[in-house]
Amino acid sequence: MNGTVEVALRLLIVFAVFLTFPLIVGQTEHKVMAHMQGRLGPMYAGGFHGWAQLIADGVKFAQKEDVVPADADRRVFRLAPAVSLLPYLLVLLAIPLGPGEGAVGQVLDAGLFFVLAVMGVGVLGSLMAGWASANKFSLLGGLRTAAQLLAYELPMLLAAASVAMAAGTVSLPGIVESFQWWWLPWQLVGAVVFFVAGLAELQRPPFDMPVADSEIVFGAYTEYTGLRFALFLLAEYAGIVVLCGLTTVLFLGGWHGPWGADGLGWLWTLLKTAVLAFVVIWLRVTYPRLREDQLQKLSWTVLVPLALAQIALTGIVKVVIS
Amino acid sequence: MSRPSPDHRPATTPSERSRPSVPGSGLAKGLAVTLRTMTRRAVTQQYPDTQPELPPRTRGVIGLLEENCTVCMLCARECPDWCIYIDSHKETIPAATPGGRERSRNVLDRFAIDFSLCMYCGICVEVCPFDALFWSPEFEYAETDIRDLTHERDRLREWMWTVPAPPALDPGAEEPKEVAAARKTAEKLAARQQAEQAGQAGQDGPREGEA
Amino acid sequence: MSIAAAGPGFLSPTGVEIAFLLVGLVTFGAALVTVTTRQLVHAALWLVVALGGLAVEYLLLTAEFIAWVQVLIYIGSVVVLILFGLMLTKAPIGRSPDADSGNRGVALAVAVAAAVALVWVVVDAFRTTWIDLDGTVAGSTKVTGESLFRNWVLPFEALSVLLLAALVGAIVLSRRAKADTAARTPQAQGDRSTGRSTDRSAKDAKDTKEGSR
Repeated sequence: MNGTVEVALRLLIVFAVFLTFPLIVGQTEHKVMAHMQGRLGPMYAGGFHGWAQLIADGVKFAQKEDVVPADADRRVFRLAPAVSLLPYLLVLLAIPLGPGEGAVGQVLDAGLFFVLAVMGVGVLGSLMAGWASANKFSLLGGLRTAAQLLAYELPMLLAAASVAMAAGTVSLPGIVESFQWWWLPWQLVGAVVFFVAGLAELQRPPFDMPVADSEIVFGAYTEYTGLRFALFLLAEYAGIVVLCGLTTVLFLGGWHGPWGADGLGWLWTLLKTAVLAFVVIWLRVTYPRLREDQLQKLSWTVLVPLALAQIALTGIVKVVIS
Repeated sequence: MSRPSPDHRPATTPSERSRPSVPGSGLAKGLAVTLRTMTRRAVTQQYPDTQPELPPRTRGVIGLLEENCTVCMLCARECPDWCIYIDSHKETIPAATPGGRERSRNVLDRFAIDFSLCMYCGICVEVCPFDALFWSPEFEYAETDIRDLTHERDRLREWMWTVPAPPALDPGAEEPKEVAAARKTAEKLAARQQAEQAGQAGQDGPREGEA
Repeated sequence: MSIAAAGPGFLSPTGVEIAFLLVGLVTFGAALVTVTTRQLVHAALWLVVALGGLAVEYLLLTAEFIAWVQVLIYIGSVVVLILFGLMLTKAPIGRSPDADSGNRGVALAVAVAAAVALVWVVVDAFRTTWIDLDGTVAGSTKVTGESLFRNWVLPFEALSVLLLAALVGAIVLSRRAKADTAARTPQAQGDRSTGRSTDRSAKDAKDTKEGSR
């Protein structure tokens, strides 16, 4: 029974991370975005610099009426938020925090494929929401989501494949295990491609055409209210955590650091993830939204060739050093 | 749709358009701007918690110094939206000296400004010849009933306590006329007193100014 | 039951075997609903369930790599593509009256024939092969990769060439459409300026846009 308790404990910890980290990222986004625009951001909720703003938001969402449009496909409409949120919870299970089996929710043999596959499933939620809302803006948002996913899944996979080639394994702890510092310049292009493609898959600005509020209200989520809407938002921020954690693990060496690697490895992982999350917010504040055709062009004419070049480079270096 | 339009550039090189430079430098510049703004102080004013620091000539509300008012009605007539209400009557003042003529003077009955109409143009303040109207920077007098926005004379008089002292004159500026006149009178008075004292000291000296 | 005598018996199923059977039933049911439902998008979503059930079956057979590739390719890409296409064609909410084809019987016959052939071939090929779930993992990434690039490298390469040909074909087709549109551009522009638009040029433009994706 000891094993069961341990599994339950791990699941509980992952679930707690899943519930808190997105909120921390969201609150950081509130404050960082405000200060980057010369504002203060939330100041009242919770007393000290509005630290409880997102909790207040959650309470507000919970109080709102759960409206389903009359013409909507009710079952699909209600199922969509769960479909878009759950994959990120599953992905969190596989991301290693530190060395050893104790610091990862579940060791998977093909962890890299697992995370990429399951992250792709999350977008199905947006598609279901877009179609089931019986709203033209939602449908447009769903279409854009699908087009974006199709365009950016490929460079993301190629960049991840490059790292897998370099490490000679597709297990996430295995990749971090074999990380060397000179992988940073070696896999730099792949890292950038992976991060940008991940941003696009999460529909974060500047790749947020599927929810472009000035064009199509809020895309696939237009008709959602209350808790279901909050779940979609939570999915977005959980996606940020997952993407930053994955980039850390794949390209930035996870728990490796210049010093203090023993015992404090998990701190390095968290630090790198936090810095990447800051970059995500920073990019959102800085850049305007791309147009739909620019988005496609960026993927097919820039990211895919770059990722292929990275794979070629990885292969050449790998052959040379072996 | 089929033609390659010039603005369909990849997003990594937006700065190429203007002048040849390092690709992506425009993107880096954008990032630098936001990062720099983040390190500076926010410009947000936390108004209900901290009062704003308003300049002395802020047009918040109009105060009435009714002692100065002569009911000349200039302000009411100049007001573009007719939001100043003045009622008055004439009073006869008995002659100051026996056999003198009786004088009549205006007595203010009502002076009210309807701030729901007022557009804060300040013409009334400017046009008042006797300095009875003043700008005050107070602005927190919102009401739940629009009728309460008509401030009667006692309320207008209360606002006078919030009128700040006029800003200091520029160094080397000409003295204000009223100050100059007052000083002239004071100097004259002082000179006369001095002369009196001098006369008393000299005993037999001719006494000037004594009619 | 001479087959059963060769390996572990049917009558004392382990937990994994029971789970395998149950998931298989769910997958089969989802597949049935996929082809019988009259709501187009629901069919696509049930397809997700069927494909996901298949992935779980792979997992239960310890073929982790294959399972995740199944999820990645089929659910993550193919179903998304199907949904994309359905949305483009204005899939209605509710029943589609024209979702049923008159060839239902023929389709059923073909499906049953295909299923029987597959089951027969698979059963015949793996008659007495039992996967030892407790021993060394038979479907790990390493094992799969080694067998793929050692025993099956020729089919793998042949498939690669096939896919490459398809890719090149797609590019050629989309480029030809673009050339057509370019030749018609003056007329198309004239149409746009006068506010008229022939169906043909609009369609061409749309094709080009699709191709450039």
